[in-house]
Parts: sequence; C-alpha cells; structure tokens
Amino acid sequence: MPLGFPYLGTFTHVMESIARGMNRDDLILPNEPTYRTKQLGSRHASEFVCTPFKIILGSLLEVIERGATQVIGTVHVDFCRLGYYAPLWKLILEDLGYTGDIICLNWFDKPDFFRNFKKLTGDLNAIQAFQAFRIGWIKNRYFDLVEKLLYSYGATEISKGSAKAVADKLNRTIVHTMGERNVRKLPRLIKETFKEEVEVDEKADPLKVIIMGELYAVIEPAINLYVMRKLNDLGVVAYTPITFRRWIDLGYRLNFFKRKQHDIAIKKAKPYLGHRLGGKARESIGCTIYYKEKGWDGLIHLYPFTCMPEIISRSILPQVSKDYDMPVLSLVVDEHTGEAGFQTRVEAFVDLLERKRNENDKNKVK
Amino acid sequence: MKKVGIPRALLYYKFSEMWTTFFKELGTEAVVSPKTTKQIKFDSVKNAPDEDCYSTKLYFGHVLALKDQVDYLFIPRFGSDHHTYVGCPKFIGLAEVLRSQIPDLPEIIMPHYNKAKSGHRKIAFFRKAYKVGLKFTKNPIKIIRAIIKAVKAQKNHYKTILIDEETLHKWERSETILNEPPRYVENERQLKIALVGHSYVLNDPYSALGIRTSLQEHGVDFITSEQMPRNLIDKQMDKLDYDLYFLYEREILGAIMHFMESKTVDGIIHLMIFSCGPDSIAGEVAARLSKRDPIVPLLQLVFDELTAEAGMKTRIEAFIDMLRRSEDEQTLLLTTKVHI
Ligand code: SF4
Ligand code: SF4
Repeated sequence: MPLGFPYLGTFTHVMESIARGMNRDDLILPNEPTYRTKQLGSRHASEFVCTPFKIILGSLLEVIERGATQVIGTVHVDFCRLGYYAPLWKLILEDLGYTGDIICLNWFDKPDFFRNFKKLTGDLNAIQAFQAFRIGWIKNRYFDLVEKLLYSYGATEISKGSAKAVADKLNRTIVHTMGERNVRKLPRLIKETFKEEVEVDEKADPLKVIIMGELYAVIEPAINLYVMRKLNDLGVVAYTPITFRRWIDLGYRLNFFKRKQHDIAIKKAKPYLGHRLGGKARESIGCTIYYKEKGWDGLIHLYPFTCMPEIISRSILPQVSKDYDMPVLSLVVDEHTGEAGFQTRVEAFVDLLERKRNENDKNKVK
Repeated sequence: MKKVGIPRALLYYKFSEMWTTFFKELGTEAVVSPKTTKQIKFDSVKNAPDEDCYSTKLYFGHVLALKDQVDYLFIPRFGSDHHTYVGCPKFIGLAEVLRSQIPDLPEIIMPHYNKAKSGHRKIAFFRKAYKVGLKFTKNPIKIIRAIIKAVKAQKNHYKTILIDEETLHKWERSETILNEPPRYVENERQLKIALVGHSYVLNDPYSALGIRTSLQEHGVDFITSEQMPRNLIDKQMDKLDYDLYFLYEREILGAIMHFMESKTVDGIIHLMIFSCGPDSIAGEVAARLSKRDPIVPLLQLVFDELTAEAGMKTRIEAFIDMLRRSEDEQTLLLTTKVHI
C-alpha cells in the first residue's frame, strides 16, 4: 500500500526520513503546494475553516490522486482545530469515494496509537521502529539547522540562489544518511558546506527579522508566500524558532538541563497573556520580547485567516511592541493572499527597520 | 457599595445565575450590561479587532457600555469545566485582549479556570472564587456562603433549562411546548423545528436577528440545542469515529445528529457565526452527515455583523415554506448552507 502524507514545509523531509527508516520505500512524496493545491483544498473544505486545513487537504488529495492508498493524520485534544483536522479529512475523503486507509495517530489513546503505528512500520519490531523514529527526530534538528543557515546566508549571498541550491542538496543528503554514527557527523558537514559553497558579502551588516505566528503559516512557504526568501532578497536575515521539534524531539523534551527557548518565551509573555490557549499565542508575544533583548531588529507575525489563538496574540502584540520598542508586522495569510500587497507591506516594514537603525546610529554618534 | 460589571455576552448566557448570585451575596452590586442594542453593536464593530468573530466583537460593545459605571469588570478566563473537553480559546484570551486594546478600563477581575488543560479541580475552583471574594470582604463565612449559593443557583439554572428525555419525547409528540408558544396560522400545519447554535447567539435576540420571534410568528414550535438532555448528546457523540472536543460544539452537533436520527422534527436550523473556529468544524461534520442521511432538512445559516435582519427573515420564510410544501409534494430536500 503506497504511503502518502501531506506537504508540511521542511518537516516533509523528516517524515520521509522516518518512513524510509522504517523500511517503507513505497512512498508517494508530496509536492510543494501550488495554486492548484489550494484550489483543490478550498473546493472540498468548508469555507471558513482555517487555511492550513484547506491547503493540507489539497496536498493530501494530490498524493491520493498520484496513487497513495494509505495516508497519515494526527488527532489530539487542543484548544484549536488542529486536533480535529484528520477526522474531518476522513469524512471528506470518504464522501469523495476514497477507499484506502486513513491512519489517525492519536497519542492520547496509547493502545490505538501503537496499533496504528504498527500498520506503518512494515516488518520492523517495536525497538527498530522506535530507533527509526529517534533518528527522525535527530535529523529534524539538522533540517532546522539547514533552514537557519539558508536564511542567514541567503541575505548576504553574492550570487542569488546559491544558498538555496546548497540547502536543497544538503536536505537530500540528510534524508539519505543512514546509521546513527553518520547522522551525528552531519552538523559539521552542513556548516562546512555552507561556508565553502556560498560566497557572501563579508562587509554587509544585514538587518535581522524574526518570524513568528501560527505553526503552519510559518513553516509552509506556500501559504506565507515565501516570506523568508522575500526578506533574504531584500538583504535581511530571517529566522524562525518555530519547528516541529517541540513535538517529536523527545530527546530534547526530556533534557531537563537545557533551558528551553520556548519556556523562556512563555515566561516573558506572562504579563500580557498568562494562560495557555492553544496555537503559538504566548510564544509569539514572548519572542517579541526575547528577541528584542537579543538585539534583533523586528518581528513578523503570521497567522491564517480566522485562526483563533493568533487573533488573540495579534490583538495584544501592538502593546508589546510599543512597550518594548520592537517593530512588529502582523500579516494575515490565506489562500487568496495577493502577492503584490504582501510584497509591499514586507518592503515597507524593512524600510521602517532601516530608518530606525539609521536613527539609532545617528544618536549613538552624538 | 462597590459595583461589579458583568458584560451580557458570550459565557454570561451560560453562567449568569452563578455570577450574579455570587456578587450579590458578597454585598456588591452586580451590574449587568443592557441587552444588545444598535449602539452596542456599533461600538463593538468599531472597537473590536477586525478578524474576530461577531460574538467576541459584541463583547467589546458590552464592556464599553459598562466601563464608566462600575468599579470592577468581571471577565473570567474560562478554559473549560469538563475534564477533557475545552471551550473556545477566545474565552481565555478576552480579558487580556480587552486590557491591552481599551485604555482606562476599570480593574478587571479575571480568575482563570481550566479543568481540561490545567487540571483545575473543585478545590481550585473554590480557591479562585475565594480569592475574588477577598477583594470585597474579609469575612470568610460570607465568601463561603456566597460560593455555595452561587453554585446552587447555577445548578438550579441548569435544571430549569435542561429537559429530561421524557419531556423531550413529550415535545416530540406535541404534548408540550418548551419555548415561546407558536402563533396559530390558519390552514397550515404546525411545524416543529430544532434551532441549534451557541447559547449566546440563541438567547441574544439582537445577535440572532430575531430568529425566535420569526419562528414563533410563523407558527413554528421549536426546541433549542441548549435544552437537549445531556445523555442524549453524549450518546450521539459516541457515534462519531473521533470524539469532538469542543464543549459547546458537542451540544450543537449532538442535537443535530439526534434529530437527524429520530426524525421527529420537520427541519433543523443551525445558526453559524462566520469565522467561528469551532463552528467551522462542527458545521462541516453536520453538513457531511446530513448529506448522507438527508431526510430531515438542515439549514445552516452563516451570518456576521454585516447581516441584515431582513435577510434572516426571508431565509427563514423560504425554509418554512419549503418545509410546508414538502409535506404535500414529498420532494426530497437537501442540506443547504447559505451566507446571509
Ligand atoms: S492554530 Fe489557528 S490556523 Fe492553526 S489549526 Fe488552530 S485555529 Fe487553525
Ligand atoms: S466559539 Fe466561535 S463564536 Fe464563540 S467565541 Fe469562539 S470563535 Fe467566537
């Protein structure tokens, strides 16, 4: 049964790695969402469900078209709709006449989780499967590293597109690296490759912008219209602390010695938003403060249309921005977001940051 | 006497009894904002964030209506009162959003209670209520008595609105009426309709665009999702492959599923707020299930602050006409979802 899963930014590579590690070679890999994907998803979803739902559904339908008969989704209880995505997909796919398997992994129902997990693992036993999973989460760290370097080298690269080419190549290498010893050697390779193969303008002193907001809106370039690349093209370094790491990286989660950036952010957000309410609401607020203190120049906050938790943080962010003198640009994204308006707003924001920096410099000289 | 303002919006429609009793017992004056008016709506739309749902926007208007008359505002940050199921994230964030968006508000009392995600139990509820009480009196006995009375009042409130299965069956057999008595319409059969939606929509005539009166006028006998016996709701929810975890959405979907199965009503009207997160999920599930079993017509009305009352009236009329006609012509009706 060919296995398919929807496209989820760079996390797609992690899924692929885990599946391959579990001896699943009958994979139908998702393509980057296109205009058609968005259309396909919107057509079959209710119209004011959040945008991630539509695009992921579109992506799922595309892998099914291409022959997948076993697809994965997750179920959990949370404040937002994410936890009920998969059951709804199931209804929709059934109505469309799909007869394959839909595996809904539900971590809160342990027996069910393992039963379903077993279906995915092919012929491996539990320990081997766990090992594959573990390698997956370790690799996730390195995909994140590639991403981080890509959008930092990308700002000052001399020949446009060279960082992207290196990143693509490295991502493939990571997916196909087998064996824990080899995997552990990857970070060095990644750093060196970037240093050697991407030529950068050494004198440049780029602005630095943090990207925060709803998980999918941040990690999936198709919905945020490649905002990080856009920033790079304007000569700005972009970085996002948001990744899937918090969920799948058990090694990181169980490491009590490390102060987790996410916990720090939540603490900082406390005076503004004290309690958990789903999404990344508290992190968005906390990171505004955290990265201001670390000397970053501004923050772009992305959220999908009708997203519940992020509307809350979006309403509070202007105050945080004022209190801490950290410029924040909130952008709502959905499947209809126009390229032109989006580009203008990002450019205007970068202009503002530049002006602000110049003024600060002047003040310093005096 | 200190005055505590309680906005008449969102969860007020669930917990009004508990809150007003509590503050009265503490020896304060509980000031509830007036029913939604045109002015309140105007202020809401002007001051609330654009992308928010209509119901949350209305909350802003009610807060503005109160803010100059009271010493405190009571806006609890309510997560849920069930051990697994959750409410809407907006209930938790509201107090803090208001504080940051509207300057010069009186002090906001915002106890946080969340049984599902923060594991708060009875004792935490008690502790939090006690802390609120301390703001007004140092007398522990008075506070404890206030809490007990408040909880009792809430229980009584549930008793009055929730019906039991027996009453439901009586209603289904047209032996009793549960809401406004329907007007008698000559030569027309009396219709039975299930009206489902959030409490704060159903019970706020302004927000629901006067749907209850329209139904009454047209000789429709209706039941609301709020009144449905809880055990029936849970029974219906068990039929889903995956448990729906939005507390108040269960009531809505459960009511729809019950009547789709029992076929004891002529039609179901589902009031949906445009851009409401939980509604978008439950509404989709309902629509899909109804298409699979389309005997009882389901009308999903999606509306927001831009919807005019006239639009609602025409839709309702058309639906009622269709139901009356279908009786004679045996036409097969389909689920419809319309934006009004
Ligand atoms: S966080 Fe927002 S966009 Fe994401 S699933 Fe929840 S409501 Fe939808
Ligand atoms: S449940 Fe829906 S209507 Fe109610 S506050 Fe939340 S988003 Fe708004």
